[in-house]
Amino acid sequence: MEIASGPSTDSSAARTIPIDSSSILYEFKQQNLPACKPVLKPSYVITTFLLLGFIFLPIGLTTLCASRTVVEIVDRYDSECVPGAFRGNKVSFIKDSSLPKNCSRILKVRKHMKAPIYIYYQLDNYYQNHRRYVKSKSDQQLLHGLNSSNTGSCEPEESNNGLPVVPCGLIAWSLFNDTYTLIRGTKKLSINRKNIAWKSDRDSKFGKQVYPHNFQNGTLIGGGKLDPNIPLSDQEDLIVWMRTAAFPSFRKLYGRIEEDLKADDVIVVHLMNNYNTYSFGGKKKLVLSTSSWLGGRNDFLGVAYISVGGSSIILSIVFLLFHIKIPR
Amino acid sequence: MLELVADMMEKDLILIGATAVEDKLQKGVPQCIDKLAQAGLKIWVLTGDKMETAINIGFSCSLLRQGMKQICITVMNSDAVAQESKQAVKENISMQITDASQMVKLEKDPHAAFALIIDGKTLSYALEDDMKHQFLALAVVCASVICCRVSPKQKALVTRLVKEGTGKTTLAIGDGANDVGMIQEADIGVGISGVEGMQAVMASDFSISQFRFLERLLVVHGHWCYKRIAQMICYFFYKNIAFGLTLFYFEAFTAFSGQSVYNDWYMLLFNVILTSLPVISLGVFEQDVSSEVCLQFPALYQQGPKNLFFDWYRILGWMGNGLYTSLVIFILNIMIFYNQAFRAEGQTADMAAMGATMFSCIITAVNCQIALTMSHFTWIQHLFVWGSVTTWYLFLLLFGMLPPYYSEDAHKILVEALGPAPIYWCTILLVTVACNLPYLAHISFQRCFNPMDHHIIQEIKYYKKDVEDQHMWRRERSKARQETKIGFTARVDAKIRQLKGKLQRKSSTLILPNCMPSPCQ
Repeated sequence: MEIASGPSTDSSAARTIPIDSSSILYEFKQQNLPACKPVLKPSYVITTFLLLGFIFLPIGLTTLCASRTVVEIVDRYDSECVPGAFRGNKVSFIKDSSLPKNCSRILKVRKHMKAPIYIYYQLDNYYQNHRRYVKSKSDQQLLHGLNSSNTGSCEPEESNNGLPVVPCGLIAWSLFNDTYTLIRGTKKLSINRKNIAWKSDRDSKFGKQVYPHNFQNGTLIGGGKLDPNIPLSDQEDLIVWMRTAAFPSFRKLYGRIEEDLKADDVIVVHLMNNYNTYSFGGKKKLVLSTSSWLGGRNDFLGVAYISVGGSSIILSIVFLLFHIKIPR
Repeated sequence: MLELVADMMEKDLILIGATAVEDKLQKGVPQCIDKLAQAGLKIWVLTGDKMETAINIGFSCSLLRQGMKQICITVMNSDAVAQESKQAVKENISMQITDASQMVKLEKDPHAAFALIIDGKTLSYALEDDMKHQFLALAVVCASVICCRVSPKQKALVTRLVKEGTGKTTLAIGDGANDVGMIQEADIGVGISGVEGMQAVMASDFSISQFRFLERLLVVHGHWCYKRIAQMICYFFYKNIAFGLTLFYFEAFTAFSGQSVYNDWYMLLFNVILTSLPVISLGVFEQDVSSEVCLQFPALYQQGPKNLFFDWYRILGWMGNGLYTSLVIFILNIMIFYNQAFRAEGQTADMAAMGATMFSCIITAVNCQIALTMSHFTWIQHLFVWGSVTTWYLFLLLFGMLPPYYSEDAHKILVEALGPAPIYWCTILLVTVACNLPYLAHISFQRCFNPMDHHIIQEIKYYKKDVEDQHMWRRERSKARQETKIGFTARVDAKIRQLKGKLQRKSSTLILPNCMPSPCQ
């Protein structure tokens, strides 16, 4: 719509303002911007559904295969590793530091497991995602040590006997301290306990000059002790533990075995059953698992992809039939 | 005394001439009224002019036409009014209204149209509490109502009567200070700025400079606004339900302690920048049909008054969609990232990784949903929708680069943990498609087997059939007019019917052996 900008010859003509009708701003104001208006034609819809199906089904099959190649051994040991005499009162057993806590378990390898094999400890019914628990740490102190004064969020594990605790907070205080030694035949399998934590955590979150101080010295022992001579950035167990898990059932990396395990191998695990999960009905499990390009063993992703791809193809067929029978 | 002097002076005058003042209707008024009538609106005229002027105006803008039966409700004889009691006058008016209602009810011809004409004095009686419902009942069955000699107060009272009595939305348009009461009383007040000053404009909700712009205001912008607001509100509920419910589901896994699975920054930015811009572009730019089509198919306007796009079915449907989306996002994520390693290097997912993945799924799913909802894509929509998704990834990247003092557990999460993990990208793809598949199926089926009017028009435009098949386009256009009894198309239709009637009678008389010419009308 163009309005001429000629001079107004008589007073009755409205004063005209020159309008550049081709400018972007004019089109914007008149809501006349060039636009595409896609319309859902039946052919587009059917093609889209078919395409989705044909993309998703292969992805689903690939991921399912990848998950199926992973070999996993899970062994629950917390109830079996309590001596018979204490089966009725496991809490008192675990709290008594004078009693020996070592235990032996036998694991059978069903299929060939290629290196590296990852060792995890799995805890169930352990709410690492509880709000009070998650905020009970001080990132400043982990990086700067005793120099930082910002430890208020660590209450009540902030100080002990008047002295500050490094690292403070409930998360560090409840450090998992079961240990595992694996023996195959007569030879001990070497477990690589380095590089199990995220590199960014080791580099930027836990200080290289920060050492544990006054840690786990109180009357109430929550978990493991830390070597005061090793800086926090090298205490990989602590670093892994402090990454709070999302769900009450979680696994954390303990270490990795760099050699293959053949089928029908028998692994003897000597473990120290130190950690108290009996007070709250928690479970402890030891997991050995290989990994694929996708990760650990979980068929769900593959199954989900196959279902969505399958339903997409079914939808496209239904649509096609409807379209043929009832054309518009 | 003055009259006696005037009588003495005004004798033996020679008539020299006559002057007339032409107070034309504004340009485009008859077409505008015609279009609004086709859009299904009822039009009343409230004017301060005399009855004869008002009737002439009615004829010139086709509110009245030959063949319409005019019902005049007047108070006879102003001298008699002073003498008779008020009660008698009211009874008289009541009787007139009753007679007229009876006549309308007994009318058998479906094309018959009635016009009600009432003047200000009568209106002052008719608007009293005991009579006003009767009056309103008669007025709404008439095709057009013209009230003349109304005072500004009465204009407001009539508007209030219609608004409250019928429960419909009323719009009042006027240009003078005497229209201010009416403009403020109506649901929507439109003021015309111009010759008579700016009082009407200052009192109104919308102001236009000429009456004919009302057509565009209602049929184009009104129609678009209704659609936009309805879609925007439904989508807003959807996206916030989809986001908020995932937080509640997570509580079941944290012993209901109140821990949120997302970083605070994600939640802050969700409504501020990550999902707000696409909705704004939907609300500002969405056009289901172009403005030319709106003007050509005035019946599309009725989608608004009939409330086809904001009924409970649709609102609850969108909320259900939000519920479904939140369930899909949450359940798929927790089952995929269960407790096994999520990377080839064996690390397991902690709460930060879980939260970032779930949030990425939400952002992608919700933005793809709005892309499916929109039907009009300019570069702005593309920028906002795809830009929002990109902004999320950019944010995650940049946030991760901040030292852990600010980013806590999200430090380097995209670069180190999630980016190189194929499971992250697979999850986002799966969840997005799973969330949007039902909606896509629903709209495809609806469009193919139960299409709404604007769908059909969109398809005709898309296939360019309006250019190829002019005949069909014209036919569709003529079908898209509300049956109306006023406006010049109605006048034309009435004339056509009259001529057809004459033709039929002529042909029936021609069959008789001795043909007599039928009387001309």
